[in-house]
Amino acid sequence: MKKILITWSAFACSIFSIAQENAPMNVADYLGDLKVRHIGPALMSGRATDIEGHPKNSQVIYLGTAGGGVWKSNDAGVSFMPVFDDYCQSIGAVALDPSDPDNTVWVGTGEVWTRNSVSIGDGIYRSKDGGKSWTKLGLEKSERISAIRIDPKNPNVVYAGVLGGLWSNSADRGVYKTSDGGKTWEKILYVNETTGCSELVMDPNDPNVLYAAFWEFRRTAYSFNSGGVNSALYKTTDGGKTWNKIHNGLPAGKMGRIAVAVAPSDSKILYAVIEAEKDEAKGLYRSDDGGANWKFLNGDFGLVVRPFYFSRITIDPKNPDVVVKAGLFGSISRDGGKTFKGLGSMHADIHDIWFDPNDSQRMFVCNDGGLYRSMNGGNTMVHVENLPISQFYHVSVDNQEPYNVYGGLQDNNSWFGPSQSPGGVEARDWNLVGQGDGFRVYPHPTKPQIVYSEMQGADAIWRFDTKEQQLKTIKPYPGKGDPKLRFNWNAAFTTSKHHPDRLYAGSQFLHLSDDMGNTWTKISPDLTTNDKTKQNQEASGGLSADNSGAENHCTIFTIAESPISDKVIWVGTDDGQVQLTTDAGKTWTNLTKNIPGLPLNTWCYHIEASVFGESIAYAVFEGHTTGDFKPYIYKTTDFGKTWKSIVTNDIPVFVRSLQEDYKNQDLLFAGSEMGLYVTLNGGTTWSKFTSNMPSVAVHYMEMHPRTSDLVMATHGRGIIILDNASILRELKPEITSKTLHFFETKPFVMSEKSSFGGTSTEHQFVGSNPPDYAQIRYFLPKRHTFGKMTMEVLDMSGNVVAKLDPGKQKGINTVDWYFNSKAPKSAKGKTLDGASLFTPRVKAGKYKVRVTKGSDVFEQEIETVYDPKSPFTLEERAIQQKVTKENFDFVQELAYFVYQLDTWIASAEEAKKKDPKKGTSAEKMLTGLQGIKDKCVVTKGDNYVGQGEDQLREKLGDIYSNIGSYYGAPSTSQLENVQSLRDLFNLQKTAFEKLNSTELKKFQAELTKLGLKSPEVKSFEDFLKDDQL
Amino acid sequence: MNKLIITLAMMVTSFGIFGQSADEIIHQSIEATGGANWDKVNSLKYSANLEQGGMKIPLEVVAMRDGRTYTKINIQGMEIIQGAFDGEVLWSTNFMTQKPEKATAEDMENTKRSLGDFPSALHNYKKAGYKVSSEGEETVDGVVCYKIKMEKKPVLVDGVEVPNIEYYFIDKDTKALIMMESEITSGEMKGVIAQSKFSDYQEVNGVYIAFSQSMGVKDGDSQNITFDKVEVNPQIDENTFTYKGE
Repeated sequence: MKKILITWSAFACSIFSIAQENAPMNVADYLGDLKVRHIGPALMSGRATDIEGHPKNSQVIYLGTAGGGVWKSNDAGVSFMPVFDDYCQSIGAVALDPSDPDNTVWVGTGEVWTRNSVSIGDGIYRSKDGGKSWTKLGLEKSERISAIRIDPKNPNVVYAGVLGGLWSNSADRGVYKTSDGGKTWEKILYVNETTGCSELVMDPNDPNVLYAAFWEFRRTAYSFNSGGVNSALYKTTDGGKTWNKIHNGLPAGKMGRIAVAVAPSDSKILYAVIEAEKDEAKGLYRSDDGGANWKFLNGDFGLVVRPFYFSRITIDPKNPDVVVKAGLFGSISRDGGKTFKGLGSMHADIHDIWFDPNDSQRMFVCNDGGLYRSMNGGNTMVHVENLPISQFYHVSVDNQEPYNVYGGLQDNNSWFGPSQSPGGVEARDWNLVGQGDGFRVYPHPTKPQIVYSEMQGADAIWRFDTKEQQLKTIKPYPGKGDPKLRFNWNAAFTTSKHHPDRLYAGSQFLHLSDDMGNTWTKISPDLTTNDKTKQNQEASGGLSADNSGAENHCTIFTIAESPISDKVIWVGTDDGQVQLTTDAGKTWTNLTKNIPGLPLNTWCYHIEASVFGESIAYAVFEGHTTGDFKPYIYKTTDFGKTWKSIVTNDIPVFVRSLQEDYKNQDLLFAGSEMGLYVTLNGGTTWSKFTSNMPSVAVHYMEMHPRTSDLVMATHGRGIIILDNASILRELKPEITSKTLHFFETKPFVMSEKSSFGGTSTEHQFVGSNPPDYAQIRYFLPKRHTFGKMTMEVLDMSGNVVAKLDPGKQKGINTVDWYFNSKAPKSAKGKTLDGASLFTPRVKAGKYKVRVTKGSDVFEQEIETVYDPKSPFTLEERAIQQKVTKENFDFVQELAYFVYQLDTWIASAEEAKKKDPKKGTSAEKMLTGLQGIKDKCVVTKGDNYVGQGEDQLREKLGDIYSNIGSYYGAPSTSQLENVQSLRDLFNLQKTAFEKLNSTELKKFQAELTKLGLKSPEVKSFEDFLKDDQL
Repeated sequence: MNKLIITLAMMVTSFGIFGQSADEIIHQSIEATGGANWDKVNSLKYSANLEQGGMKIPLEVVAMRDGRTYTKINIQGMEIIQGAFDGEVLWSTNFMTQKPEKATAEDMENTKRSLGDFPSALHNYKKAGYKVSSEGEETVDGVVCYKIKMEKKPVLVDGVEVPNIEYYFIDKDTKALIMMESEITSGEMKGVIAQSKFSDYQEVNGVYIAFSQSMGVKDGDSQNITFDKVEVNPQIDENTFTYKGE
């Protein structure tokens, strides 16, 4: 039977192995410990949309964000951690089950503050373990969920307010109810395909009483409408069976977005803010009879401003007269809504407010700058500094060492910061280089102090000299006879790969400057459809005019100059046109009609001009502004005459960005609205990259040409970097049939920089640094679980230099080696002397890595090189290495000497114990030995300020580690110090020899007399063999 | 050919076991790693040389069936004890003063609440009355695992009893324990998921023991220990457990 099984298993293995080699790899299965790193930043944070706290335990708070998922605090809002990374990161509503708030949390995805850049949701989720794991419970087509209300008496009864599609008609809107904990949902209130539930509140005293605000709204790429005859406020008193409009006292005519709240302390009191047809009717209304009658109170700007963006009312849980209204700055009333004042200073654009139900002075406020907390009822606001939910639109990199990343953010300016920094990438590392909403930011290719940035709609394009602090606006203006220039909200401009001072900017025309933006030339006709019906932004907004520039349309959106030829320039427009010039703008060809299967006017979000040929390009389109959430990625290899779709069903949502690898044509990255995807076969199959990578929208990517780092601008989780993505070039199906595969590595540079670390306080976000040590990488087709697996680094003569812990997981394993060799064996003492355990760094050269897995041995050669940027010469390094080796030996020599002393001390103590009388040789030996030892090593005190005076071991450790950790030649004074310690040691050796010559024989005779043996003293070599430090 | 593959697939399916209860999975895991031989294990001593940037630090971990335990490291002649429990007192050596110091009363109480979890809670859960349930399957390091939820006795955190839940991930094929997860319940890391991963299983006295253990936090850093030697029922200086403070 055993034999049959073995034969079968061998057969099956061979089938699977053949199949594996031919089948495309699902990269996600083999990522192993290959992880992206997050560098934030969090100093400006990003839009937070909904906050909910535990009703009894004020320590627990959940935060929903616009693009960064859900975060949880267990320490009353001091620090937060992400708990929803695997799922859609656009959050509409978060709700804690009042009957089980410790464990049961609901999340409705899809933000409801419907600005132009808002993302989409994909349903409702529930956690039963406080956010550790989540289950999707339907409403997949809801697109955006405005509220979740849970029956406090029956957790299976849950109501969801579904605002629904922003960009298209949809029947998936209204109020939904489940009575079986989310297994099934019933639509209990529906108006029509254009009107969704924008707010849903429950009477705290009667779960059958709910109020639902319905909003008629629609956004397109070029317009926004808020309001219509179908917007209304409804009430049910029977758990949703019947609903009635409650408009008595509310304005007649069309309504827009309605905010509504019921006072927790008196559920007869309601407040509503109405976006009405007439300006004088817009404002705050109050009802004191559960919505039966309403009275107008206040039409302050702070209450009526931009209802689509600010429609949340929060009432103090203990005082029905304390009302806070979200708004541009946030307003608070302490007289029942009669008068309002602003909340304390903080970032503008307030979206949600939460009061601690146990202490109304404690409140939290969500806005475009993240989260603020107040301990004094909103008078003073403190920014939460550990929420890296920043929303980048774009990213670029420079070629400095370390390189910097540049980008602009939603309502949070333009910045650049380092990709690494001592102690990690901190808030202080980021530099402000633009204001307003920031988008594209570029370094000048050859003048590092010059940075270009812009604000919304190209209201400004700046050239900023960061060294001289000189700021010049350089945007193109219309020339004589030109029409108004149309710039996108996220206006296209870019630098050139061929001419350092060149800039391109896209309105409806392509503009070129060869003098850093001082003068511009139009090098194209209008490249858009110039559809006049899409250019009436003045009428945008509906009941509340909203002409911010966010709806500018028929504009150039992406400009891609070929990295191979400056004559080849590709342009994509927001109205779906792809245009090409191959003669630097003299003539243009519209390629749109050549693209098969692309719906008309689908936004061309990105064109990637390939490094592999000037005729090769990729075009990424996305139609979410028409309700089309499908991905579109095309490739052309013939200057756009033909295009082939290279996207598959592996990517379930729309894509905005694409990055090609510079070495392997088949390795491509796609930035989708819900995470990063990678293909190893030119788009035949795609896999989601999940390793520490949230399902966040990736708006733009850049691969650093020197490091092969993939740098991602995410719209909700800041800048995320996949360091050295080149490893993916080697990830091929054939390696899955090997027992172990080492990845090739470039020589490892041994950085010789030092620093004192960072300065951030404990609860500020600090971005992680890339490795500045060797990363040895190999591939295991399956996890190693049984038997021994070891890893060693050997020199080329076969001597073991270091032992490392190998990774065991399936896929890519990374083992860090800090270039350390072995530590010396140092003398024992009463205290710890870490300095004498300093491990010298290896020399530059070739080494062998050996992995032993069971009886199999695998070897790989690696190389270490000195930091080419370091100021030290080889001669200086040689002196340092020689002195360090001498000191290493000195430490071990002293350790052996102390060992000998200890051995004889132990023997003398034993003898003295047996014969305690005075004047014995044992006593003389003991006194003499101890005296010598006291000069060699600290023999009293503790490891802190009670430590005894430093002795030879401590002084030697100090100079040994100081010389060893500086890679240039030691100073004269350091060398003199070593010599003085050597002299001191020689004195002790002489003293020991003298003691031996005078007392040893007598002592040994005494031992014999006492029936004791002379101690065995190991040889120096044997002493070193004992591994114990 | 297709037919053959289908037949093979059916064979595999028929060997597979579906819908197993947590009890059954745990039982199979214990059987696969030693079965009744575990009953003869009364103490375990793990010895390792921690490799820390070129330094080799000897480490010794001892665990007894009665709950006594200690971890000892030896460096430059100093013995430093961490997490020692002598049956009454949970203590550690203060690194600065090199003197023993008691853990908080709460930590001691929580240690006492898990007494009997030897060699692990998987062996003791029935006796201790812990509730186990199957949470389906999850892939860990590329291994398809059964996920078992174990609800142990609640622990005290800042004076309040909170649930003490551990998750065990057992290799579906070999039944070896691959990973254990639990939530950190106090301090600045509160809410973060702690993970321990197990590999390099080798047989010692008829039981399979993971010689390599990696401890860290989910999606974060981890620290690996590979033991050179694991001894079953070794000679132990019982004095080492004892708190020798005031």
